[in-house]
Amino acid sequence: MVKKFLSLQWKEFFRSSAFQKGIAIKILLVLAALYFGGCALVLGVGLFFIVKKMVPGIDPMQTVNNFLIFWFLMDLIIRYFMQQMPVMNIKPLMIIPVKKKNIIHFLLGKTTVSFFNILPLFMFIPFSIVLLFQNSDFQYSGLNVFAWVVSVVAITQALNFLNILVNKSNTVFYITLGLLAACGALEYFEIYKVSEFFGVIFNALYNQPYLVVIPVALACFLYYLNFDYLNKRFYLDGAISKEIKEVKTSDLSWLDRFGKLATFLKNDVRMISRNKRPRQVIFMSGMFLFYGLIFFTQDIYRDMPAMLAFASLFITAGFLFSFGQMVPSWDSEYYKMMMSQNIPYRQYLESKWYLMVLAVLISFILSTPYIYFGWDIFGMIAAGASFNIGINSFVTLFGGALNRVPIELNAKAKAFSNTQGFNPTQLLVALPKLLLPVLLLYVPYLLFDLTTGIICLGASGIIGLLFKNFFLNKIEKVYQKGKYKTISAFGEKK
Amino acid sequence: MIAIYDISKTYGSNTVLKIGKLDIPKGQSFGLVGNNGAGKTTLFSLLLDLIQPSSGYIKNNGIKVHESEEWKPFTSSFIDESFLIGYLTAEEYFYFIGELRGQNKSDVDQLLSQFEDFFHGEILNQKKYLRDLSKGNQKKAGIVASFIGNPEVIILDEPFANLDPTTQIRLKGIIKKLAEDQNVTVLVSSHDLMHVTEVSDRIVVLNKGEVVKDIETSEETLKELEMFFAG
Repeated sequence: MVKKFLSLQWKEFFRSSAFQKGIAIKILLVLAALYFGGCALVLGVGLFFIVKKMVPGIDPMQTVNNFLIFWFLMDLIIRYFMQQMPVMNIKPLMIIPVKKKNIIHFLLGKTTVSFFNILPLFMFIPFSIVLLFQNSDFQYSGLNVFAWVVSVVAITQALNFLNILVNKSNTVFYITLGLLAACGALEYFEIYKVSEFFGVIFNALYNQPYLVVIPVALACFLYYLNFDYLNKRFYLDGAISKEIKEVKTSDLSWLDRFGKLATFLKNDVRMISRNKRPRQVIFMSGMFLFYGLIFFTQDIYRDMPAMLAFASLFITAGFLFSFGQMVPSWDSEYYKMMMSQNIPYRQYLESKWYLMVLAVLISFILSTPYIYFGWDIFGMIAAGASFNIGINSFVTLFGGALNRVPIELNAKAKAFSNTQGFNPTQLLVALPKLLLPVLLLYVPYLLFDLTTGIICLGASGIIGLLFKNFFLNKIEKVYQKGKYKTISAFGEKK
Repeated sequence: MIAIYDISKTYGSNTVLKIGKLDIPKGQSFGLVGNNGAGKTTLFSLLLDLIQPSSGYIKNNGIKVHESEEWKPFTSSFIDESFLIGYLTAEEYFYFIGELRGQNKSDVDQLLSQFEDFFHGEILNQKKYLRDLSKGNQKKAGIVASFIGNPEVIILDEPFANLDPTTQIRLKGIIKKLAEDQNVTVLVSSHDLMHVTEVSDRIVVLNKGEVVKDIETSEETLKELEMFFAG
C-alpha cells in the first residue's frame, strides 16, 4: 500500500507543471539545496571549534546546549511560515477500500522527511562526529553523544508535528503563541531565565543518556495527537480540506485619500492580509530588516563600504524585492477580469508603485535603531532607501512585467521546491538592482570620501523619482505588448 | 453595436474559429449555441480582447477592440470564475467593480437591491470570501457584478450552468428584462437550448468554429435547434 502511495506522490511531483519548467530552474534549485546543505555541513563541522574559541574555558557542548533552545525556536517560527502542510489528494482515496489510518500514517510519515527535518541532520550529525573524534581537553562518550543526537532529532520531529497542529487548529495556535509569549516576557523582564532552564534540560539530556526517552515520547505523543486530530476529521469537510475562514473586514477608508488609486490599494491590502502566500512575503520582508546586523556587527566589513552599501540597500528593500518582482502575478488568479474591466494599466501600475514606496518608507522608519551603529551607517540606509524608491521600484516593476508565472495566492510556497513566480529573466533584472547602488556609492568613495558616496547614492534616487512618468510609461508599454501572452500564461492550470 | 469582420483564430494548424461577417445590432439579445469545442468561449474571448485574433478584427461600437481600450467602459462580462477575486467578500467585490466603473457605494447598493430574489439570501452578508462560496453562488455574484455601471454590452458565457432551477428561472427573467432595454446588447452562450431560445431574439449556432445557423427566434426555433443537434 505504501508503495502505491509513494508512486502516486512520485507522479504528482514529477508531472506537476512546476517541475516541467526550464532546466535552468532545476539546476538553480539543486544548487540552492546544495548550498544550504553545505552551509549546515560546514557549520556542523566547525561548530565545536567556533564555540570553543568564542566561549573559552567552558565545555563547548554545554554552551551549545545553553543556546539550543533558540535554534529550536527559530526552527518553529521558520516552519510556521515556510513549511507546507501535508496535503494529499484524498478525495479519490476516500471511496476505495483503503484503511483510513493507513492514509493518515502515510500523510504524517511524509512530513517527517521534509526539508526542515533533514537540514538539522546535516548540522548535528557532523557536529557529533567531530565531538567524538576531536582531541581537545573535553572528551565525550559515544553513548551520551548518540543519545543527545537522537534527542535533537526527536525534538525536531516533535516540532514538525506541533507545527502541523498549530497550522490546523486555532486552539493549539493560540496556546503555543501564548506559551511562547509568556516565556519571552519572563526572559525579557528578567523575572525568570527560561533560556537557562532549557539549557539545564538540554545538558541533562546529554549527561543522562537514558533521558532520551522523554523527547522520543514527546514526538510520539505529538504524532498521536496529529493522528487523532486527522482521524476524527477525515471527511471532505474536515481537516484535510481547505478551511473556510470567517471574514474579518477592516475599515480601509483611510486609503481613500489616494483618490483613484485607492481602489487598487485597498484591494492590495486585502490581498496581502487574506492570503497565505503574500503573508509569507511580508514575513520574509521583515527578515530583510535584520540583514544589516550581519554586516554592521563585524569589524571586517567596517572598511568595506561596498559591502555596507549592499547591506544598507537590503534593509529597506525586503518588500520591494519580494513583492515587486511578482507584480502582475499577484493578480494572476483573476487577471482576465482585470484585463476586460475598465482599468487603465497606468493606474494599476501606479498603485503597485505606491504600495512599494510605502513599504520602503515603513522599513526605513523601522530601521532607525541602526543609528546605534553610527550616523554614517544610517546615512547609507537613508541613501539606500532613496535609491530603492527612485530607481529600484521601477526596475523591479519592469522585471515583474516580464514575469508570467501564475501564483496560487492562498497556498504557501514550498520551501526550495518552489518555482512559482520565479524565472531566469528576473535574475538578470536583479543584477542592476544590486550592483548599480554599490557602484554609485563605491566609485565616489574611492574618488572622494564616504559622504560624497552617500550623497551620490541618495541623489540618484531623487533623480529617478523625477523621471517617474517616463519610467511608468515604458513599463506600461511592456505590459501592453505582453498582454495576450500574460493572459494565456496565467490561465494555465497549475 | 458589435461587428465581426473575417475573424479567425488558429492554434498551430488547428483553426478553432472562423467567422466571415457577423453584425449584432444595438439592443439585440444574442444567443450563441454549439457543442464543446465549437468556439463559443473563443469568440467571447476575442470580443473581450483576451486573445489575439489570427486574422480579422472585431468592432465594438465602432472601436476595434484589439487596438483601443475605449470599449471597456461600456462593456462588461462574466466568462468564468477567474473573473472573481477570491479573497474578497461579495460586497467588497461589487464595490470594487463599482469603483472601477465609476459607481459609488449607494449606486451599487441600489442595483444590488434589485437582485435580492436572485441572490436568495446566499450572497450578501455571508461573512465568507468568494472563494469559499459554492460554484453556483460564485456564478450568481459574477453575473450580477457584470450588471454594475450601466453597461451597454453584456457578455455572459454559460450563465445557466451550475445554477439551481429556481435561479435559472430568475436569471431568464433578468436577461429578458435586460433585452427589453433597447440600449443594452446582451450576448449569452449556453448548452441549454430551451433557456437560450427563451431569452434571445436571435440565435447563432457554431460548429467547429464556423457559423452554421443564424436564426431569428420564433416558435419553431427550439425544434429546429433540437433537430440540428440530434444530428
